[in-house]
Amino acid sequence: MLVAPHGGRLIDRQYDGEAADEIIREVAESQTLTLNAREKSDLEMIGNGAMSPLEGFMCASDYHSVVDLMHLSSGPVWPLPVVFSKKPGDPDVKVGQHVGLVDDKGTVLGDMVVEDIFDADLMTEAELTLGTTDESHPGVQYLNTLSGTYIGGRIRSIRRRETEEFANYRLDPKETRVLFRAKGWRTAVAFQTRNPIHRAHEYIQKCAMEIVDGLLLHPLVGETKAGDIPADVRMKCYEVLLQDYYPSTRVVMSVFPAAMRYAGPREAVFHALLRKNYGCSHFIVGRDHAGVGNFYGTYDAQMIFDRFDADELGIVPLKFEHSFFCTKCGGMATAKTCAHDAEYKIFLAGTKVRAMLKEGKLPPPEFTRPEIAKILMEAAKGGEQ
Amino acid sequence: MKGLIIWMKDGNGSDESLLDELGTEIRQRGGRVEVFHTKAAEKLGMQEDEKARSEACAMLARHGVVVIASGTGSCTVAPDEEITVREITRIELADHTSHTGFMRDLELAGLVPPPTHDVHPDEEEEILKKLRNLGYLDD
Repeated sequence: MLVAPHGGRLIDRQYDGEAADEIIREVAESQTLTLNAREKSDLEMIGNGAMSPLEGFMCASDYHSVVDLMHLSSGPVWPLPVVFSKKPGDPDVKVGQHVGLVDDKGTVLGDMVVEDIFDADLMTEAELTLGTTDESHPGVQYLNTLSGTYIGGRIRSIRRRETEEFANYRLDPKETRVLFRAKGWRTAVAFQTRNPIHRAHEYIQKCAMEIVDGLLLHPLVGETKAGDIPADVRMKCYEVLLQDYYPSTRVVMSVFPAAMRYAGPREAVFHALLRKNYGCSHFIVGRDHAGVGNFYGTYDAQMIFDRFDADELGIVPLKFEHSFFCTKCGGMATAKTCAHDAEYKIFLAGTKVRAMLKEGKLPPPEFTRPEIAKILMEAAKGGEQ
Repeated sequence: MKGLIIWMKDGNGSDESLLDELGTEIRQRGGRVEVFHTKAAEKLGMQEDEKARSEACAMLARHGVVVIASGTGSCTVAPDEEITVREITRIELADHTSHTGFMRDLELAGLVPPPTHDVHPDEEEEILKKLRNLGYLDD
């Protein structure tokens, strides 16, 4: 049996077909609130159950409990707020009111019954959830764009497959769960990524695959910060890699529609819990997971898992150290398995790799597979034009 | 788990498949279930005696069993520390939304285990079809 969803029940508040048409008709009679890119992702993931047990945007009780204690007011672990922020152009709404949720083009994406309207101290939120109020942190920058008034309530979301990016790779938690069962998997490890897969990533994925039935390669395709490699380029890399270097029966690739929060340790727990809802029993946590700049320690995102009981998490974090190719070992390794000096270890910083690619130089094959490097090089050249 | 009697209070003897379905659902979740059919009540000479049937249900429920039964009126057993009584109508049991809500309430009260299946079997077929179309599974 697969791992149970977080909170015990997979939420399904996503509608299509006639049910979605009915929501659109109801919304036509209601006032509407506009979702930003992160809220749009969150709406989708609440609706499809990825954020189970959440059934809507958080009310004050959950918000404060999560910010202060990393638990929902009902008990389950939950490390980050999932909130809807009132925007300057939004109408004044009241508790109990039915509202439509639309994107910036006015497309109806769902609805909500308002249960709570509350003010939040955004800098306290930043300090506690991101660990900083430094304005160079993208998460703090995001909070600085918000009004400080949150509107909470249960939602219904509309699935609009026709406009979804990577539609062929978009699987909801109930779909991955059915897929895993159909493949006979009882355990699966999820790999979260917003970067191309270099040899180091491939190594830790394959180490993890040795102890579970299957791998869910789950690239994040929601909003990321400027400078991150675009999702379509990353997808091309994964496709090529999977075709030639992984056993097709033991890997599933699907997109993860979340927006990055760059909340480091707390976001690592968040990513793990969401993958549990997708049916994964294990989750790979590498170095500086969901980090940005130098805001978090290299292994902070691993250590935070020790603050919770295994039972309340319900998913096993697989903590990997920084991996590299060791020319003396003649293979991939980490500090746990290789004691050779730094001169034998092939490691390139991301900035150096980007510079090489822009100059048309391929990184060494021990660092990046040549097929991947070529895709990245073409993308880097295209980005310059 | 505390004992539970689920009592369909507007039963007419011809709708026991609803009780059986409910029993199967709770059994699939890992619950210990006894559906107290009209036939069993007849064999015990209780078909006309709802008080006796209620008492029989209570005896089973006190052993931590989920007992599902029906009558033409309310269950005559009062809930106590060992057992809980939840009544439902035929319409509520047959209607998907109210049925789901009823089960969810029992689940939240700790009276039945949470579901082990995250997808309804009918929906599972649809999902499998989609997964085949997308190439995730072979035909």
